[in-house]
Amino acid sequence: MANSLAEQLANLRDTRVWRSIFRSGFGPTNLHRALAVQQNVFLHLSSVKIRKRSLSFRVTWFLGTLSLGTFLILVATGIPLMLYYHPSVPQAYADMKDLRFAVSAGVFLRNLHRWSAHAMVLLVFAHLFKVFYRGAYRPPREFNWVIGVVLLMLTLFLSYTGYLLPWDQLAFWAITVGSNLISAVPVFGTKIRFLVLGGHTVNANALLRFYVLHCVVLPLAAAIFVAIHFWRIRKDGGIYSGEIKKP
Amino acid sequence: MSDDAKKPEGAENDAAVSRRQAFVTLGVGSICAACAGAAMFGYEFLAPNVLYEPSPVVNAGKPDGYPAGSVTQDQQSAVYIVHGPEGIYAMSAVCTHLGCLTAWKPELGIIACPCHGSKFTRAGVKIEGPAPHPLPWLRAWINEDGDLLIDRSEPLGQKQFVRT
Amino acid sequence: MSEPKDFVAAMDSNSRKTPVRVAFVTRRTSPHVKAHDDDTVMTFPEGLFRAAVAVEVLALILVAIALLWDAPLEGLADPTVTPNPAKAPWYFLGLQELLHYFPPVVAGVLIPTLVILGLIVIPYFKINIEAEGLWTRNRTQRLRILAVVTAVFAVFLAVFHVYAVLIPTLLIAASMFFSARSTPSPGRFQVWLASKPLSFWIMSWFLVQAAILTLIGTFFRGPGWSLVMPWSGQI
Repeated sequence: MANSLAEQLANLRDTRVWRSIFRSGFGPTNLHRALAVQQNVFLHLSSVKIRKRSLSFRVTWFLGTLSLGTFLILVATGIPLMLYYHPSVPQAYADMKDLRFAVSAGVFLRNLHRWSAHAMVLLVFAHLFKVFYRGAYRPPREFNWVIGVVLLMLTLFLSYTGYLLPWDQLAFWAITVGSNLISAVPVFGTKIRFLVLGGHTVNANALLRFYVLHCVVLPLAAAIFVAIHFWRIRKDGGIYSGEIKKP
Repeated sequence: MSDDAKKPEGAENDAAVSRRQAFVTLGVGSICAACAGAAMFGYEFLAPNVLYEPSPVVNAGKPDGYPAGSVTQDQQSAVYIVHGPEGIYAMSAVCTHLGCLTAWKPELGIIACPCHGSKFTRAGVKIEGPAPHPLPWLRAWINEDGDLLIDRSEPLGQKQFVRT
Repeated sequence: MSEPKDFVAAMDSNSRKTPVRVAFVTRRTSPHVKAHDDDTVMTFPEGLFRAAVAVEVLALILVAIALLWDAPLEGLADPTVTPNPAKAPWYFLGLQELLHYFPPVVAGVLIPTLVILGLIVIPYFKINIEAEGLWTRNRTQRLRILAVVTAVFAVFLAVFHVYAVLIPTLLIAASMFFSARSTPSPGRFQVWLASKPLSFWIMSWFLVQAAILTLIGTFFRGPGWSLVMPWSGQI
């Protein structure tokens, strides 16, 4: 039975439809493996071959991969959560209660989203320090380091804008304190704060603005910068795996 | 055509380059102008013109409700109404540090901020903590009905008392 | 008479990877392989498989956490009641701790901007790229600079009563002086410390500092941002 299933799968991979979707055929040679990466729009951000040493856990602790993993989990949980969320005052808070008590698996999705967000901040910070201590920021990777710093800031902004959305006491006062920090910016502070909040206080306008930033603007920006980040890893010579020792 | 043909070859090339340059300048310039315009309209769009926020002027009721020597905190409007020896004055209850709501501590006779530990006297002067300014005084007056009104929109530069 | 050749030719044979490699080595240098290319593997399946396993393990851990602990949700937002203490998300608590000591324009604007700019410029300075031990040259001069900088910074922190920054700073400065000590037979730890460049010290200082401030802000700050113990139940 299993054998025939495998055969059928192999047959499926030989069909015209399969080949029209994946371009390359499936086979046992390195050429096929190379094509699987090179012919895929997402995978081809990576090179076809990578250094064996850069795959060992010791080198990277997989922190970059895991950061991407949390981002994917956040997208996957965030989109269903959006279906039960109204960014308005005080309905947003009622939706939190609904997610907890009335929506099947709502509390699980929210928990997973929340804890993954914390994990992402932690992992991105850890990634930054790990890259620094390995010296992986050195040329030709210096610009990828800068993109990494941009991604760190995007992560913090994403987490911070998401913090307001439950519209509970924790959210309201954290954002009140945080947005008053913006007013401390010389000259333009109060203006910028007014634009960010869409008013003088944290209110319905602020909630809606943070919602749009959190669900559309910042994830899109993060996705674009992640793509550049991965592409630059490839272009700058692959994952840095330390000084090459004399044989 | 014949005039052009008489010109040295280099001159025609120069003319062509400068014409191209002119178009490039025009194109880049118009993109810059469009960006500047978009930024301006973007700013105008993002800054709301109508706000559904509570009125800055609040009615604090009859001044008799504030006996001499008392400090009253109005939670709803975030103001203090203090009846000192020189008269009644109003003060914002919003901490000048980061906008937390301060609270009057009657047992200590001070105003304290829960967020970063700033403390103020009943006149709004900072005793300790990170607050950069004293609590701002607000304009207070008595309307024709005899009610105490407080304007929260603008901090007062100087001290102002309402005598009863 | 023919000119003497200015180079010698050598051939490398690693026929499995490159068919043939000819190296021309100029005179007065010796042919000598400094670096070998690493062994490579196919991204698919080796690399992608490992990445998938890593992400799956992460997802399992996060799902377990999500099943065991509920995300916090307090009462409906109320602009008339400030919770005491009002805390930012944990990753901003280090900053909030600094806000307790410095005016907002310093702690909330200047310091974060400097940190971000500092991070961005790291790979653009030669000193960070060469990453040579701090004490390998100009030792006395650098020791003098370190002493002055530490003293000025310590006085500044003491004036503002920022002991949470002052004490770790002094400890790190002490370990820098320790690594600079010239002893006839330094221990392995000292040798390791002495090989570290300036950027290592600054980054480690930042990491220790950020961790300590975040921990204090998270676990040791209670009502009115007063110092409390984590088990007092007032956080």
